[in-house]
Amino acid sequence: MRTRALILASAASATAILGGWQLGAIGAVTAPVAQSTQTTGTTASTDASTSTSGTGTSSSGSTGATGSSGSTAGTGTSAAASSSSTDGTYTGSTVSTRFGDVQVQVTISGGAITDVTPLHLTDHDGRSVMISNQAAPILRDEVLQAQSASVYLVGGATYTSQAYLQSLQSALDQAGF
Amino acid sequence: MAFLVHDARDLARRPRTVAGIERARASKRLWRVDLLQAGLVTSIAIAIALFLADGGGTRFATPGAAITSLGIIAGLVATDLVLVMLLLAARVPLIERAVGHDASMGLHGKLGKPVMYLLVAHGVLLLAGYALSDGIDLVAEAVSIWSLPDLPLAILGFALFALVVVSSLVAVRRKLRYESWHLIHLLVYGAVLAALPHQFSVGGLFAEGTWQRWYWMAITIGTLAAVVAFRFVAPIALSLRHRLVVAGIDRVDHDVVSIRMRGVDLDKLGATGGQFFIWRFLAPGQWWQAHPYSLSAHPRGNELRITVRALGTGSADLMGIRPGTRVMLEGPYGIFSEASRSRRRIALVAAGIGVTPIRSLLESASFRPGEATVVLRTPAANDGWLLDEIKAIARSRGATVITVPGPRGTTGWLTDSAAREGLSLAALVPELDDTDVYVCGPRGWSDAVIVDALSSGLKPEQIHHERFDW
Repeated sequence: MRTRALILASAASATAILGGWQLGAIGAVTAPVAQSTQTTGTTASTDASTSTSGTGTSSSGSTGATGSSGSTAGTGTSAAASSSSTDGTYTGSTVSTRFGDVQVQVTISGGAITDVTPLHLTDHDGRSVMISNQAAPILRDEVLQAQSASVYLVGGATYTSQAYLQSLQSALDQAGF
Repeated sequence: MAFLVHDARDLARRPRTVAGIERARASKRLWRVDLLQAGLVTSIAIAIALFLADGGGTRFATPGAAITSLGIIAGLVATDLVLVMLLLAARVPLIERAVGHDASMGLHGKLGKPVMYLLVAHGVLLLAGYALSDGIDLVAEAVSIWSLPDLPLAILGFALFALVVVSSLVAVRRKLRYESWHLIHLLVYGAVLAALPHQFSVGGLFAEGTWQRWYWMAITIGTLAAVVAFRFVAPIALSLRHRLVVAGIDRVDHDVVSIRMRGVDLDKLGATGGQFFIWRFLAPGQWWQAHPYSLSAHPRGNELRITVRALGTGSADLMGIRPGTRVMLEGPYGIFSEASRSRRRIALVAAGIGVTPIRSLLESASFRPGEATVVLRTPAANDGWLLDEIKAIARSRGATVITVPGPRGTTGWLTDSAAREGLSLAALVPELDDTDVYVCGPRGWSDAVIVDALSSGLKPEQIHHERFDW
C-alpha cells in the first residue's frame, strides 16, 4: 500500500471504530441490562423497553399472584416480609421487547427456586418463536443452577434472555427471594 | 549476448519538457487504487464497529464473554473479507480499470488462507466462549450449538470454503488440472450461501429491526449482485451482441497457433492491445471451459486475434478448433495497456508465449519514433514467435527490437552469457528512468525482470506485469 492509501485507510477506519464505540456506549446506558437488574417488584426502572402495563402484576405482588397458576396456591403474604422468601408461585412483570412480550412465573419451594415457567415469550415471527423456544430451557437450567436471575444471556437470543431474566427478577422480588 | 534486430534509437528527438499526459493519467488511476484500498480496510473497521455499536465494547468483562466477543469479531471480519474476495474476482469494471485483473486476483489469492484461519477462530472461540458462559464442557456445548438454527448449514459452508482454499494452495494446485481446480472453485458460491442464514438467525447482532442487519444485508446483496451482473449477465449479453465466430487459424509453430475471430460491432468493445478476454469456444468438449488469452493484435475492423501455445490440456484442444466455431467472450480485462502508462517512453519485455500482449501493445501504445524498446527472450537471435510481425511494426512505428537468445540463465532473467557481459535492463533500454516497463512471461522470470527494474531505481508505478500461468 502507498502512503496516501495508508493515511486514508487509517483515518476512515479510526472514524468507523470510534463511531461504533460511541454508539455502543450510548446504547449501554439505555439498553436493558438484565443480568444485573436489581429492580424492585414494581419495576420502577428507567428501562425504556419495560412496558408500564407490566407493573400492574408486580404491584399486586404481595398477594403472590396465584390465580394464574394451577399449581399450589402461593401463600405469599407480603413483600414486606423481606427477611426471608416464602414458598409459592410468583408471576413476573411483562417485559416488552421488539420481538414481543416476555413474562415468566417462578416457583419457590423450601426457600429455593424449583421451577421457572414461561407464560409468554417473544413471538413476533417464526424466527422469534424458534429462538425463544431454544433459549427458554437453557435459561431455566441456568437460573435453577445459579438460584438467581444473574446468569449469562443466551447467544443469539439476547433480547429474549434479557426480558426473561428481567421478568424473573421482578417475580423473585415479589417473593422476597 | 543480445542482438539488435531493429534499431530506432537515433530517431528519438528532444524530450518534451512539460509533464506528459501519461503522468496525469497515472495520477488519476493511482488515486482510484488508493481509495479502493482504503475502502477495503475501512470495510473491516466497519464490521468491527457494527459489533461495538451493539454494545460489544462492554462484553469483555468475563473470560467467557470476552472469548465470545472475539469469536464474533473474527466471524464478522472473515465474512467481510469473503465479500471482498468475491468482489475482487467479480470483474467489477471500477476495480478492473484501476487495479487491473492481475493485481486484484493476486490479492484475492492472498486473502484465502487468512480468511480460513479467521473462520476457524470464529468457530473455536464461540464454542469455548459459550462453554465457559454456560459452565459446561466443550462437547456438551458443541451438541447444544449444533441445534441452533442454520448451524449445520454454516458448518457445511465452512467445509466447502476449506476445500476451495486447500485446492488453491500452491502445492495442491500444481497437481490439479486447471479445469478441476476451477470446478472446485465454483463451490465457493455454495459456501457463501450456506453460511448466510446463520449470520441473520443466530447472530444476535443482526437481529430484526437493527440497522446492522440492513447494512449487512446491503453489502451481501450488493456483492452477490455484482457477481451475477459482471460474471454471468455481462458476458452473456456481450456474446449475444458481438456474435463472435472463429474466422481462421494460422499455425505459428508446431504447438502455437493464432486464432482469428470475427464478430459484430467489435469496435464497441473498447479493447486495446495488451488486454485480454476470457474466451469460451462453443465446440464439443470445450464449451464448459473458459480461458484467458491476451489479444496478439490490436483489434482491427471486426477482427480479434489471439495467439495460443499448447501449455495445458485446454489450450492443446484449441489447436484443433475449426473455423465457424462460435465463441463467447468476457472482457476486455487488464491494465497491461495504455491505461497504466505513467511515463513518456515504453519498454516491452517478454519471454516465450508472453510475447502475445507485447506484440499487440506495441501496436496500440502511444509513443514517438525512438521512444519504444522491445526486449525478447527467444530461442535464436532471429527466431521467435511473432518476431516477424514485431519487426514489421517496429520498422513502421520506429521502435527498437532486441533479442536475447538462448536458455535462461541460472540467475536473473537474461542468459548466462548476457549476464556475464554485464547486460541488464538499464544497459538494454535507453533512458530507463523515464520509461514504463511492461513485462510478460513465466512467473519466476517476470519476478527477475521486476527485481532488475526496481534495482535500477524504477518506481513501482512504472512497472507493469502480466502473468499467463494460473
